[in-house]
Amino acid sequence: MGQIKYHLPPEEILSPGHFACPGCGGTLTMRYVLKALGRKTVVVIPACCWSVIDGPVPYSAAGVPVFHTAFETAASTASGIKAGLEMQGDYETTVVAVAGDGGTFDIGFQALSGAAERNEDFIYVCYDNEAYMNTGIQRSSATPYGAWTTTTPTDSPKAEKKKDIIQILAAHHIPYLATASVAYPDDMIAKIQKAKVIRGMRFIHVFSPCPPGWKFEPEDSIKISRMAIESRVFPLLEVYDGTDYRLTHEPTGGPVRDYLKMQGRFRHLKEADIEVIQKNVDEEWEGLKGKLAYSMKVHKSNNSVRSQDKDVSLAKAQSRKGIKRNVR
Amino acid sequence: MGQYKFTTVEEMPPLAFSLESTRKIPTGSWRHVRPIYKEKTSPCETGCPAGEKIPQYFDLVRNGKYEEAWHKILEDNPLPGVTGRVCYHPCEGQCNRGPYDEPVAIHNIERFVADKNFRNKNLPRFGDLPKSEKIAIIGSGPAGLSCAYQLARKGYRAVIYESEHEPGGMLRYGIPHYRLPKNVLNKEIGDIESYGVEIKVDSRIGGNVAWTELEKYDAVFVAVGATSSRKMEVEGEDLQGVYSGVEFLYELNNGRKPKVGNRVVVIGGGNTAIDAARSVLRLGKKVTILYRRTRSEMPAVPEEVEEAEKEGVKFEFLVAPETVGGNHGRVSKIELVRMKLGEPDESGRRKPVPIKDSNFTLPVDTVISAIGEAPDLSFLPYSFLKKGVRIFVDENYSTGVPGIFAGGDSATNPNGTVVNAIRAGKEAAVSIDEFLGWRAKTDGAAREVVKPEEINTFYFPHEKRVKIPRMKVGSSILSFKEVNKTISDAQALEEVDRCFSCGTCLHCDVCMTFCPDVAISKDESGEYVIDYDHCKGCGICVNECPREAMELVEEETQWA
Repeated sequence: MGQIKYHLPPEEILSPGHFACPGCGGTLTMRYVLKALGRKTVVVIPACCWSVIDGPVPYSAAGVPVFHTAFETAASTASGIKAGLEMQGDYETTVVAVAGDGGTFDIGFQALSGAAERNEDFIYVCYDNEAYMNTGIQRSSATPYGAWTTTTPTDSPKAEKKKDIIQILAAHHIPYLATASVAYPDDMIAKIQKAKVIRGMRFIHVFSPCPPGWKFEPEDSIKISRMAIESRVFPLLEVYDGTDYRLTHEPTGGPVRDYLKMQGRFRHLKEADIEVIQKNVDEEWEGLKGKLAYSMKVHKSNNSVRSQDKDVSLAKAQSRKGIKRNVR
Repeated sequence: MGQYKFTTVEEMPPLAFSLESTRKIPTGSWRHVRPIYKEKTSPCETGCPAGEKIPQYFDLVRNGKYEEAWHKILEDNPLPGVTGRVCYHPCEGQCNRGPYDEPVAIHNIERFVADKNFRNKNLPRFGDLPKSEKIAIIGSGPAGLSCAYQLARKGYRAVIYESEHEPGGMLRYGIPHYRLPKNVLNKEIGDIESYGVEIKVDSRIGGNVAWTELEKYDAVFVAVGATSSRKMEVEGEDLQGVYSGVEFLYELNNGRKPKVGNRVVVIGGGNTAIDAARSVLRLGKKVTILYRRTRSEMPAVPEEVEEAEKEGVKFEFLVAPETVGGNHGRVSKIELVRMKLGEPDESGRRKPVPIKDSNFTLPVDTVISAIGEAPDLSFLPYSFLKKGVRIFVDENYSTGVPGIFAGGDSATNPNGTVVNAIRAGKEAAVSIDEFLGWRAKTDGAAREVVKPEEINTFYFPHEKRVKIPRMKVGSSILSFKEVNKTISDAQALEEVDRCFSCGTCLHCDVCMTFCPDVAISKDESGEYVIDYDHCKGCGICVNECPREAMELVEEETQWA
């Protein structure tokens, strides 16, 4: 066994010189997404950090065609671009929308829900830094309970729980849904590559730490992501067809306290608040375990079909024949 | 951008678009700290008295380069097969994996490398030109062999004078065969000889060879070891059936079987005592070790003590001999007194104090006393400065008499371990080199040692230490065959993989994987290159490096 090592696709598509803050999780997300999808990709970016990170005109960091669109329209623009490509006979190019949590959970939610319901054929990657960061750290519906933002100051931190986007999208019955983290690049790249060959709407929810917004040293970006995953704040999972839940990484289950203590946005929390958060995390974990157990029972017979290899070969065959996407 | 030149608004595209890469934007100017690759010293390397470069040869083993790994060890230690078997491995006590789960079995890897090259005649070549100076070395124990080897590598002619019939000193006559088979020793001495070291056996300085013969040499290294047993200073010590530990092992290693009775006691808690007791078992007799302190104060290697106990050696702690009694000149009983532990003495261990009126008598027919050894310096023609029973030497191993150096158990090495003797030989060779005017000693720049908390243990899942293949207890005491076996290739590779490789880069690509600025790449030779034009100094690479081979340094501020 020995040391844990990562095996990423070697090609670097993302250029250096972009405008991300040091230690940016969203930038690593884009780097892995591009590595996994390759150069035959179109990226759609609504208003979010990445509108800035990509660079000022006439520069672009992504290394593939990027379409900057309005805040609420990432999913509809991506649907349109995919339709346009297919009209030209291009069934191979992957269309991927890369949006922040504001453009996914709040402002772009209507377009996302519509595209998911229509089962549009593109990948939607949400890099979730849990607030509107580039406009000055305002709360979003992805901001967790108890967190400080400029609109939820420490004397009245956010009192609501984070919106459970995974359950919402699962309720749309899209073919593939996954969570990922920049601290587990192998897991994330495998999920994106899997998403690449599945037809229909795919959604990847990436946990992306933000050093200036969460108030921690940029060098701890990966460490904090890892603690979030290991303390079960953000479990790494996959959902097929909205019902079949799979856990891709078994968390070790450390206390949430360690994760919270590393970040300035949680510094005001009292012991009692931390206990509430721990309780919430435990409850959600129990709920997830129930879903996982149910999936194992109901979808056991599908396990062999679900294996990644089958997905790949099936999708490749479809893509070769130019079969139109299976709109339900 | 050159191909797009718009002269009117109509010619412009409906949307603004970018065609240039951001590579042209030097975001490196944002940086105030700079990541650098800076290798550090592993604690095992500083823990090894011989200074073996452990992470480096581990890396060679990992890549299956067993010969190169062997050559790497030979830079510092000419006897890896010996130390891989008998060394008390202080390196493992320092291993950063110790606090995490279990230390890496470094000595087993060393032995594995040596045994892999047992038939390998391809010794490393060292570039030094032959020199005309000749150096005499008295004693062919580990210190003498190490010194002669290092001198020969530097191009000198080294001649060893050995009083016994075969070279090796305590390695041959003090360590029983079941711990160190003689063919291993012979092989490694042969390797040293092939560097041009001459070993004159049956040549006792002050005996059949006169001290004056040494005057024709340019320098002398005294490494006669500690061969005379310390006396118990009790009545009846001269009775028949009372041996000293050294004497007993010497007889055994010479192929003779010393006569032992059925009720044997060994007095002492060091390695000689354990070796003697386990040898008695192999002669088919029962044996008890008597020690005046408790188990935790025993100077013997704990694993040896454990193995001895498994094989059936009995221990009696907190007892000391008062008198040895006998009849008709033969030992028949030993009177003992119970002890208790008092205040710590100068060695840091708690001093045993006798308990009044606690004397008792044990019927015995053989007593082996192994309470420590001292050097026999009667051969020296004029008096040297002494430090206790040993020759006094300064930090350069010089005795004060110009050109005469000393090291090993006879001078510098009070705990009497093989690896410390090897170190003394190695360092004395450097001093001799300097004395003869060829090369000034260089002080190696003090490198930072990696601490356990600096290791990013996330990257290392818990793994069990290798299980050493051993002879079964029942059969091990039937003969003097070697008890511990060499680990297999697969075991060695697994064990090497457990090594954190503290401070030495293994090109694991973690730094490259997590760089958000795509500023780390590999050049043709596989070395990492940091693109400082774009690195923003976030420090993720340094923080994530599993083994502390990187560092963040302050960027120089340039005031306008």
